[in-house]
Amino acid sequence: MKFLKPNNLTELFSSLPEISGKKYFLAGGTDINVQIKNGLIPEGTIIYINHLPELNGIRQDENEIFIGALTTYRELLNSNIIKKHLPFLIHSLKNFASPLLTTMSTLGGNIANGSPTNDVSPPLLVLEAELELISQNDSRRIPFQDFYLGYKKFALKENELIKGIWIKQNAAKGYQTFYKKVGSRKTLTIAKVSVAGLKRIDHGQITKIKIAVGSLNEYPRRLFQLENFLIGKDLDTLLEYDISEILKKEITPISDLRSEKEYRFQVCLNLITKFLSLNFVG
Amino acid sequence: MKINMKINNKPVTIDVDPMKRLLDILREDLHLTGAKESCGEGECGSCTILLDGNPVTSCILNAIHAENREILTVEGIAQTKAGKLLIDCFDETNAVQCGFCFPGFMVSSYHYLMYDGEPNLDKIKHALAGNICRCTGYQKIFRSLYLACERWQKR
Repeated sequence: MKFLKPNNLTELFSSLPEISGKKYFLAGGTDINVQIKNGLIPEGTIIYINHLPELNGIRQDENEIFIGALTTYRELLNSNIIKKHLPFLIHSLKNFASPLLTTMSTLGGNIANGSPTNDVSPPLLVLEAELELISQNDSRRIPFQDFYLGYKKFALKENELIKGIWIKQNAAKGYQTFYKKVGSRKTLTIAKVSVAGLKRIDHGQITKIKIAVGSLNEYPRRLFQLENFLIGKDLDTLLEYDISEILKKEITPISDLRSEKEYRFQVCLNLITKFLSLNFVG
Repeated sequence: MKINMKINNKPVTIDVDPMKRLLDILREDLHLTGAKESCGEGECGSCTILLDGNPVTSCILNAIHAENREILTVEGIAQTKAGKLLIDCFDETNAVQCGFCFPGFMVSSYHYLMYDGEPNLDKIKHALAGNICRCTGYQKIFRSLYLACERWQKR
C-alpha cells in the first residue's frame, strides 16, 4: 500500500490525477482500519487528509451553519453553535457509536463510507442539508438527498471530495422534532431501523412534514410519498389512515444478521406512527 | 516516515510506517503494554488511550494520526493523583476480575473524572459505554467510578 500526505489542498488536488490505481482517503480512520484488518482494501494509495484545515471546523454566517467534513462527532456534540441552533442534531447523535469512537470519527467520513445504516444521514435529510464538494478547479453545492445514488454509490466526480455540510440555522425552527434509532443496545450499536422527523402543525393540521429513514433501503432517504400524503391531514384523525401501503412503496428492508425484513418494516411503521401521534413543540 | 509525538509527557520521535497502528507502536516499539488488543476493531475499548485528552481506541489509530499530538496511556495515568485514586477505588469495590479490559476502563474513567467528574450513574454509564468487560462486572465498575467521583470532589 502506498501512502501520501499532501501538505495542503492545492498539493492534494494536483497530485490526485497522477495516482494510478485505487485511492483511499484517510480521515479519522475508524472505518478504513477495520476494513484493512479484515483484508477488504485492495492494494492502492492511502491519501491522508485528516490534517487539512480547509476541511475542518464549525462556523456560522448570517443564515447558515457550515460543518467541515473532518469535524469529529466529539467536536459536533460539544459545539456551542450546534447546541444553540441545531439541538435536534445533538439529540439525534448523542448515542452515536461510542464515546471512544466519537474522538476520531468524522462526519464527512461517515457520509462518504456510505453505509445504509449510517446515523448522521436521517437527521441531515430532514434538515435539508447541502453538501459542498470540491475538486481542483471547482466547488459546488448539492442537496444531501442527491448524494447517494445507490449502495455505496455517490454523486462525486473523479477526484472530488466532500468539503463540508451546510445547514440553514432555522432548519428545525418551529418544528416538532423526532429521532429514534433502534439497535440491540443504546450505544455502540448499528441501527436496525432509524427514523428522523420534523413536523409543523397549524390549526390542528399538518402543514409541513419531513420524514427520513436509515437501514431500510440501499441508502438513507426521505419518504416523499408519505410526506405528500400526510400534508393537510387533521391531527385528530391522522391515526385512522393506513400508511403501510405507501410505506411499502418507499422502503425495501432486507433481512440480515441484525434483523428480519418483516421486523424492520413493522418497527419503521410503529416509529412513524409514534412520531405522528406526538403533539408537542420541540 | 519520522513522526513526532508526546507520550506520557515525554517527546518521542519514531521512524515507522505511517499506517502502523498506534497500539502496535505503543506495545512493540515503546514497550508500553498496558493497552491491550482484544477485538482490534474499535469495539471493545481494551486498547483505550487519551489522544490530546480525549479517549480513543488505539487499535484503529494509525501512526500518522498521532503526529504532533499528545498521548497519555494507562501507564502515565497510573502515576497521577486521579489515577492513584481510581486504582484505590477499583481495589476497594473489587471491580477488577480477569483484568484484561481494565486498562481501557481505567483510561475512560480517568477522562470522565477529569472532564466531568459528577457522581451521576447515567453519565458514568455513558462515559464507559465504549468499554466492554467480558466478565460482565459492570455494576462494580460503575460503583467504583462513582466512588472515585465523590472522593475527587471532596479532596
